[in-house]
Amino acid sequence: MAGPSVAAYLVVSVLLFATGAFGVLIRRSPLIILLALEIMLNAGNLALLAFSRHAGNGDGQIFALTVMVVAAAEAVVGLGLIVAVSRQRVELDVDKLTSLRG
Amino acid sequence: MEDFLVWVVWVLAAAALLSSGIAVVLFSNPFFSALALIVNLASLAVLYLVLAAEFVAAAQVLVYAGAIVVMFLFVIAYLGGRADAPWAGGPTLQSVAAIVAAGAIAVEVVVVVALKAGDRLANAAEIPATFGSPSEIGRLFLGPHLLAFEVTSIVLLVAAVGGVILGTAVPREKRADGRP
Amino acid sequence: MIPAAWIALFAPLGGVLVIALLGQRISRFHAGLVASGSTLVSFVCSLIAFLALIDESPGERAHYSTLWTWLSAGDLEFGAEILVDPLSVFMMLVVSGVGFLILSYAVGYMHGDPEERRYHAYKALFVFSMLLLVQSGNLLLLLAGWGLVGLSSYLLINFWHIRATAVAAGKKAFVVNAVGDATFALALFLLIQRAGSLDFRAVFQEGIAEKSSAVAVLIALGLLGGAVAKSAQIPLHTWLPDAMEGPTPVSALIHAATMVTAGVYLIARTHVLFELAPDIQHLAGILGAITILVAGLIALVQTDIKRVIAYSTMSQIGYMFVAVGLGAYGAGLFHLMTHAFFKALLFMAAGIVIHALSDEQDIRRMGGLARRLPFTYRAFLVGALALAAVPPFAGFFSKDSILGSAANAGTLGWALWGAAALGALLTALYTFRLLFIVFWGELSAYAREHLHVPGFECGLAMAWPVGVLTILAAIGGFLQVPWGWTLVDDWLHPVAESAEEATGFTFTFSIVATTALALAGIALAWRIWARADPLPDRLRRRYPWAARTFEEKFYFDAAYDRAFYEPASRSAALALRYVEEPLFLRSLGELGRGARSLSGRLSAVQTGSVRSYVLALGAGAAVIALVFLLVS
Repeated sequence: MAGPSVAAYLVVSVLLFATGAFGVLIRRSPLIILLALEIMLNAGNLALLAFSRHAGNGDGQIFALTVMVVAAAEAVVGLGLIVAVSRQRVELDVDKLTSLRG
Repeated sequence: MEDFLVWVVWVLAAAALLSSGIAVVLFSNPFFSALALIVNLASLAVLYLVLAAEFVAAAQVLVYAGAIVVMFLFVIAYLGGRADAPWAGGPTLQSVAAIVAAGAIAVEVVVVVALKAGDRLANAAEIPATFGSPSEIGRLFLGPHLLAFEVTSIVLLVAAVGGVILGTAVPREKRADGRP
Repeated sequence: MIPAAWIALFAPLGGVLVIALLGQRISRFHAGLVASGSTLVSFVCSLIAFLALIDESPGERAHYSTLWTWLSAGDLEFGAEILVDPLSVFMMLVVSGVGFLILSYAVGYMHGDPEERRYHAYKALFVFSMLLLVQSGNLLLLLAGWGLVGLSSYLLINFWHIRATAVAAGKKAFVVNAVGDATFALALFLLIQRAGSLDFRAVFQEGIAEKSSAVAVLIALGLLGGAVAKSAQIPLHTWLPDAMEGPTPVSALIHAATMVTAGVYLIARTHVLFELAPDIQHLAGILGAITILVAGLIALVQTDIKRVIAYSTMSQIGYMFVAVGLGAYGAGLFHLMTHAFFKALLFMAAGIVIHALSDEQDIRRMGGLARRLPFTYRAFLVGALALAAVPPFAGFFSKDSILGSAANAGTLGWALWGAAALGALLTALYTFRLLFIVFWGELSAYAREHLHVPGFECGLAMAWPVGVLTILAAIGGFLQVPWGWTLVDDWLHPVAESAEEATGFTFTFSIVATTALALAGIALAWRIWARADPLPDRLRRRYPWAARTFEEKFYFDAAYDRAFYEPASRSAALALRYVEEPLFLRSLGELGRGARSLSGRLSAVQTGSVRSYVLALGAGAAVIALVFLLVS
């Protein structure tokens, strides 16, 4: 395998994932949270592809493509929700969107 | 020589990746965050190329950067000023816990990987020239993973319908007590 | 033949489903047509089976057919199987034939009732249950039919469920029958243990149990218990008079022609098992004799027209029990058939009277109706003559068949003969008492006000079945004529060999004596009631205790109340006060309160803030990963 071994890819993937996780946890705008979520998904994709290359098995690439599709679908629905929420003239602040509570 | 070039490319791409990731998370203007995401996706595509996943790299650029990020930008444009996402406010305990959690995940995974799988991660398999090519992907999608293929089409349909419904929901009159 | 038998069985069930599924989409009249039509289909198929059986030689007339394996548990296997043999076809013809006539009558009788469709569906369900009972080829399916018959009877007795008395009557019928069902089931358990199956072929084999051994006695006793409850014999008879709360066609179908005869059928079918325990078989005869007398005496003082006929049914079934108790299966079943004819006829005629008087059933308010309801009167007269066993009507031949067998059966036989002969006197007495009070004399004041006769006495729907039954009650007896032929006995011979009837002088004596008693009864009734003689009132004053005993139905109901109902309700009240309230109700309250406070405290976690939820997720994932790391 040209370049670094799987381990390096995994470390990069994990750091990216942690970044995305941090973003999801720390930001208050749902839009940014969605972006951070995309980063997490991509980190997962990176790990998948690294292992796929390492094992010589194409299944990982299939999985990564499927993840991409799912991420696209999720982005559609999430953005639709954001637009719908903003139409109600409600502030786009996750700490304020708390009416679903017990 | 080739190997060295690959390493250089890899290091550059990885650096761009991580820094743009941090940028996405840290910018307060969502437009800049989206732009940083584009850089993120592009560097990911480069890494995919190094991993001999050509089709996936192309799809990444086309689908992610070309469609999803564009969608984000449309929404940001629609929201205009309302999309601003300041940092201020929020419980400090939350922030600290967030940092700790993210850091913990990162550390743990690295440690696990190093401890458990260290020696097995050294030797990569040999791959044929068609690895990662569209024909190979196509063969896999239409063969062993046909179900995943079909299911993803359903997922897309559901998402499309959901998006349309969410988009055309008529804003209701506010009730007397102010609730929508 | 086999397909015809299955169609005969399932046609009424199909009728029920059609009525149930179409609901309000078919008119009430059409629902009645569906129900009676399906019964007609049953009858026609039963005829086909009958004709097919005639073609075969007597030895081959037993066909089993299994549709599917119904229950299978370990070594036990029970199929949904029917048996086409002389006995079952005999019963099928009676049930579906008389059933068809009664269901057609009911179309007219129940006309205008708001829930008429439900009525017809229940009637068809009942016919199906009864056919299942008589057609089944193993005892388990018979028990299923038995239970379904009980259910249908419950549904039909409290058809007018708004009336509290009807509801109570339905419950009573069900509960008393349940006692019989329980003993029946116990007998079946014993049989399964001895034979490993409940198929007729397995159970009626030689050597199932030793003659008069404890097992045989228990089995026969259990079966007898079921028969006694279903056929309303002493001591499980208390439900039958109350069951008159149901509409009159119900009384005709269930409490004259079919359900109450199920007990007799059961004994005839399982006669092999009864013959293994002769004491129990004789007990059946004794109970029958007791019932003949007790029911006859009670019927003498009843003032409700349907109750008189109900007690009469109890009494007549006593005759059938005497017959099967002495091994005269042919005679008993012959009487079952003729009884179905004339009893259904009597109920139907009574129904016409009740309808004409706007639902009045008290005979003290009736009188002189013969002139205004001539057709009904004549039908009732034929039925009464048949019931009183006056030649040449149907009851004469069948009752004398029974008495002839009794006369030939030793000491016990003669004792039972005596009871039966006395019963014949009583039967004539109470039957003609009813006839004279209701139809003779002056038109009563009540009738003058309320008699409502639109054109002909009743609708065509009610008239033609009455007409058919009148003819059958008149000539139905000629199937088995003394000194002539014994068609019924011969037909049933391969299944249940009947005991010998008396011959010669004894036989002649029996016939003459009972006929004389019957005629004497009629004459006595005429003397007392046709001429409004004050004798009954004088007797009542002289022997008040006797009058009261008869009127209180020999205190059976009161005794059962004291013995069973009161202890049960008292212990239930105690349980409510000391167990249910403090233990269950209050603890439930405590549990509820505890759950609520706990959930209140736990709900603090649901802040509604997405971030805290995601944080929880992330922290949880970190913890799990740590655990994974440490454990593996």
